[in-house]
Amino acid sequence: MPLLLRNKNSEGGSSEISGANERLVLYLLLIVSAVAFLVPVYWLATSALKTQSEIFSSVPTLFPWPPRGENLVAVFQQTMLFRAFFNTALIAVIHVGLTLLLCSMAGMAFARYPQAPGHRWLFAFVLGTMLIPQAVTMIPVFVVLTTLQLINTYWAMILPGAASAFGIFWMRQYIANNIPTDLYDAAAIDGASEFDTYWRVVLPIASPALGALGVLALIAVWNNLMWAFIVIRTENMNTMPLLIYLLQGEERTPYGLIMAAGLIATIPLVVAFLLFQRTFISGLTAGAVKS
Amino acid sequence: MSTEAYSSTVPETDPAVLAMSRQGLAARIWHYRRFYLFISPFFFLFAVFGLYPLVFSLYLSFVSWDGLTSPVWVGLENFRTLLLDGLFYTSLWNTLVLGLLYVPPMLILAFVFALILNQQWLKFRAAWRAAVFIPVITPGVVIAIVFGLMFGTELGLFNQMLSAVSAWIGLSFTNVPWLESEFWSKPSLAILLVWRWTGYNMVIMLAGLQGIDRTIYEAARIDGASRFRQLIHLTLPHMRPTFVFVTIMSLIGTVYLFDEVFVMTGGGPGVSSTTFGIFLFDEAFGNFRFGYASAAAYTVALAVFLLTLLIFRTNKAGDK
Repeated sequence: MPLLLRNKNSEGGSSEISGANERLVLYLLLIVSAVAFLVPVYWLATSALKTQSEIFSSVPTLFPWPPRGENLVAVFQQTMLFRAFFNTALIAVIHVGLTLLLCSMAGMAFARYPQAPGHRWLFAFVLGTMLIPQAVTMIPVFVVLTTLQLINTYWAMILPGAASAFGIFWMRQYIANNIPTDLYDAAAIDGASEFDTYWRVVLPIASPALGALGVLALIAVWNNLMWAFIVIRTENMNTMPLLIYLLQGEERTPYGLIMAAGLIATIPLVVAFLLFQRTFISGLTAGAVKS
Repeated sequence: MSTEAYSSTVPETDPAVLAMSRQGLAARIWHYRRFYLFISPFFFLFAVFGLYPLVFSLYLSFVSWDGLTSPVWVGLENFRTLLLDGLFYTSLWNTLVLGLLYVPPMLILAFVFALILNQQWLKFRAAWRAAVFIPVITPGVVIAIVFGLMFGTELGLFNQMLSAVSAWIGLSFTNVPWLESEFWSKPSLAILLVWRWTGYNMVIMLAGLQGIDRTIYEAARIDGASRFRQLIHLTLPHMRPTFVFVTIMSLIGTVYLFDEVFVMTGGGPGVSSTTFGIFLFDEAFGNFRFGYASAAAYTVALAVFLLTLLIFRTNKAGDK
């Protein structure tokens, strides 16, 4: 049975809790947890709107009123924040786009042509490399980028993670489970070329899986500090995480500026997540490991 | 064009395809040329940034190289040095302790949240889910700096809260030196990591729960099985593949943990929170010992790989 259908029937699979008191307890538990999970983020947001002395006041101000815009203004004036934001956004858009394109094209090919010579061997190989972490390849990748003279360019941030073994596995699973062979045949009878079939038939059906993979790739590339630290060399090429990291001083750290920059770095991802939450969750659910 | 595309999707029982399979490899490859065309962009990039580095890294573990001068072949010298390097063992020990401190509470919390958020009657499910997941999408560097402030000994939020609570119950309280003592640096990191990664695991477990066929619970209910028994005998066994998956992801994530530790403690005080990720980064891009760092990376990657296989195997065996 196609996974999509199964998931609709089985939503909320585990046993239901019915007592009103028990439900009340669970709601209270959820409220407490939600507060615990949101306090640091709230603290980040409010600190961005405080003065430096307020951030360190012995009685923390829960509601900084009136909110102070100084940090938000100062961070734009004193650092190349606008440029860093632009760099990060550009890198993220191209990286996510490239990842989705490569992984969905290859994922479709692996799902559609199981009889192609070498199929099994190539796929097993991709799966095997899923367990190889970035740490093992980070020095050679750095050397490759140096050889190609790509250090301190956007490509140094965009290219390395784009051929994601996880991504190809993910897309193949989803496409194989949700697109029956008949559909390819029907498209072919209609005279659609391979690329048309990919673009007009496969991609729309695979959009939940693309959404989930896209959100995961976006989170990883937007927040990546270590790799930026290795390949970025000049201030004008800084990404947001690197800019924030470098704001920390030896003697005195401008926490107000850091909080303001941190808030600005966080908002786009939170917005993206809230917008794509439904797709993200349903995509993950459909691609989840099956028992 | 269209007939060609059609024939490529016909199962191999088709006489035409069977005839073709007798034609030899070249003809079959030509027949499936679209397969190779569509996977080639991926494999091109994969070869440059995945496969070649993998092989090159293996070569590097047998040389001494600073990245500038030409590499010198040293045979097994790097591995010999590694086995005698006290900091290497310290970093593995720190990684193990940190992993044991944060992974179990994180996975248990994630499972509890997944169970609650999977309840049908629950209102505002999307909002609760978002609250738990927001830490995952907040940049690690920002979070590590915020937690660094909250862990401050004198004015940090944690100590202020703890002292307020102790005063309320009437206990005496001395400030916990969260980031200033070798004892507390790992628990502090563990708190940060549980906070940050619970949501990620919760979402995967939620997906696993929703993949369980609901009818099995109806059958159990008719048989009069209690909710607790349903959890033990139905939910947990069905969630096994998900648990294996998140365990392996946590194992890999812990061994190569970097951003949070690098920013919040920098591996200190002393070397009390120098995890393997920090050790590797320092050797590679602090000391520029490319050969040595590659040897360390390969050794640990191999160990992690074998450990992963072991987890898979024991779970396969347990199924039968």
